[in-house]
Amino acid sequence: MSGELIYEVENVSKNYGSVVALDGASLKLHAGEVVGLVGDNGAGKSTLVKVLSGAHQPDAGRILLDGKERHWGSPREALDAGIETLYQDSGLAPHLTVSENVFLGRELVAPGLLGKLGFLAKKNMAREAHEDLERVGIAVPASSRSISQLSGGQRQAVAIGRAVSWARKVIILDEPTNHLGARQAGEVLEVIKAAKAKGLGVIFISHTLPHVLEVTDRIVVLRLGRIVMDAPTSEFNSDRLLGTITGSISAAGAEGE
Amino acid sequence: MTGSVKVAPTARNDRRDHLVGVATNQVTILIGVMVILVGIFSLLEPKFFSVPTANNILTDWGSVALIAVGQTFVIISGGIDLSVGAIVGLSGVVAAWTMANGLGLDQTVKGADAAPGLVVGALVAVGVGLGVGLVNAFLINVLKIVPFIATLATMGACLGFSVIISSGAPIGSANDFSLISAMDPKANPFSWTVLGVIIVIAIAGLFLHKSRFGLYTYAIGSNSFAASAAGINVKRHLTMVYALSGALAGLAGMFVYIRLGAGSPSSGTGRELDAIAAVVIGGASLMGGIGRIWGTILGALILFTVQSGLIMIGVAPDWKKVVVAVLIAAAVSAQVLQNRNGRK
Ligand SMILES: Nc1ncnc2c1ncn2[C@@H]1O[C@H](COP(=O)(O)OP(=O)(O)OP(=O)(O)O)[C@@H](O)[C@H]1O
Ligand SMILES: [Mg+2]
Repeated sequence: MSGELIYEVENVSKNYGSVVALDGASLKLHAGEVVGLVGDNGAGKSTLVKVLSGAHQPDAGRILLDGKERHWGSPREALDAGIETLYQDSGLAPHLTVSENVFLGRELVAPGLLGKLGFLAKKNMAREAHEDLERVGIAVPASSRSISQLSGGQRQAVAIGRAVSWARKVIILDEPTNHLGARQAGEVLEVIKAAKAKGLGVIFISHTLPHVLEVTDRIVVLRLGRIVMDAPTSEFNSDRLLGTITGSISAAGAEGE
Repeated sequence: MTGSVKVAPTARNDRRDHLVGVATNQVTILIGVMVILVGIFSLLEPKFFSVPTANNILTDWGSVALIAVGQTFVIISGGIDLSVGAIVGLSGVVAAWTMANGLGLDQTVKGADAAPGLVVGALVAVGVGLGVGLVNAFLINVLKIVPFIATLATMGACLGFSVIISSGAPIGSANDFSLISAMDPKANPFSWTVLGVIIVIAIAGLFLHKSRFGLYTYAIGSNSFAASAAGINVKRHLTMVYALSGALAGLAGMFVYIRLGAGSPSSGTGRELDAIAAVVIGGASLMGGIGRIWGTILGALILFTVQSGLIMIGVAPDWKKVVVAVLIAAAVSAQVLQNRNGRK
């Protein structure tokens, strides 16, 4: 079902001052695979996301893309390598429009000299942003509305649409169903399945365990910055998953690959 | 097939938003305020409505408009630049010193003969401003000092340097440069220097509203994490923003030099507050992400219309400060009201 190994971190650690957010975490992601990353609040999931997306540099550990070691100096480098990320919050600029957010960092410029000076092709961006979001299966308000005028769910839809439409290899979704109603959350799960079918590697973070059990191939459980379990989804049921997250079920023997 | 994340129908909302938007548009309101002010002053003092008055207002407006435009970029990016007033003084002094001592430009140089010297002076002034802007960017990006404190420090340093260089007195009287008088024909409200200011502002406005440079400025002020996560080099961009603000302040320094015919260390004192007032009256938010070039231009124009109008109707100029305070309060509360109408 899953293809070859595309993205991998080995023994990454990250401290925020005296807070140990990640402590030797390892994770593997294959093409066409959905990995669920779960753990209690503060377990280190978002920190791992930021290491994977280039937003933070790990204090220790290795990052490998297609088997080659990489050091992301900035999110730009990871984006250029085909890795898209939806951050848990604050991934959008509220004062910019929908289309400006979709194209931020990858603007379309006007033809000729104006383009060389950085003048934007706003109409083209608005049209293409709309098409992109629709292709992903996301209906959002007019491209010209600013993000601050949208509801929490609409913003989330834009953020998901942006990540999915740009991703070439890996897509990391940190709690994408936040702010979403039951039906919209179900639709996000469909979007994830579609990304998987296209051969992308997907990392899906959620506190809604039924969603994780439904859509993932493998589940990685983080607790206090350490990976305490990494196993195929078929080995879990909701009780066992919940127990592993809270620590009431010991994960002995399940550590590692 | 993929699912679709559907949301409420919106076409009608968009149209209504558009109408509400035009009515509550900062620029529409500012033009209204401007018309009312000119009306009141002209009623109270018919001489107010005249070419010389317009010329005075525009000439005062010119130097502050230049630094206010730079300030608009800075404030939209979520920062503030308190050093611009001091840069006006320093760059004017350094340019005057260079022209007087380096190029031998004095009263004996007339007409077109002075032009090359003035061009060099302008380049020096802009260079000084650019340099201070880069120092600001270094303090903010590398030493992680908040913009308010960083630019307060460079403001002090610039004031100090300009007094040291000039020994506290204006450098060089260029009143006899016939070129300068030719460039500043009093009878014409759009004197050449003001025209130059307008051209510079128009270019800056195009870049702010139509180009990637402007978009990144808004993005960083709106959410700098999101901007960086989208691949924008935030530090490099902020460096350019503070450099731009400094360079425009340097240009304003040259503008003031041409007006005064001398480089005076105190010529920019307090201008940064005028510029910030203009930007805020123009509708920008000190939280970043919001602001328009037209707002700033009109904000600065209103500032000097009030100043000149009050003087002409015989009110003590100190009342200007009170009127400006009222305008700032009104601008900010207008913003709060807009926010309550659904914008965040
Ligand atoms: N910028 C930061 N500065 C200091 N500490 C931080 C920072 N970001 C995260 N932390 C700390 O690192 C730890 C891991 O946080 P992280 O956001 O990765 O958790 P999470 O698993 O994503 O939690 P949640 O489910 O609540 O989103 C927490 O103890 C948190 O307080
Ligand atoms: Mg998190």
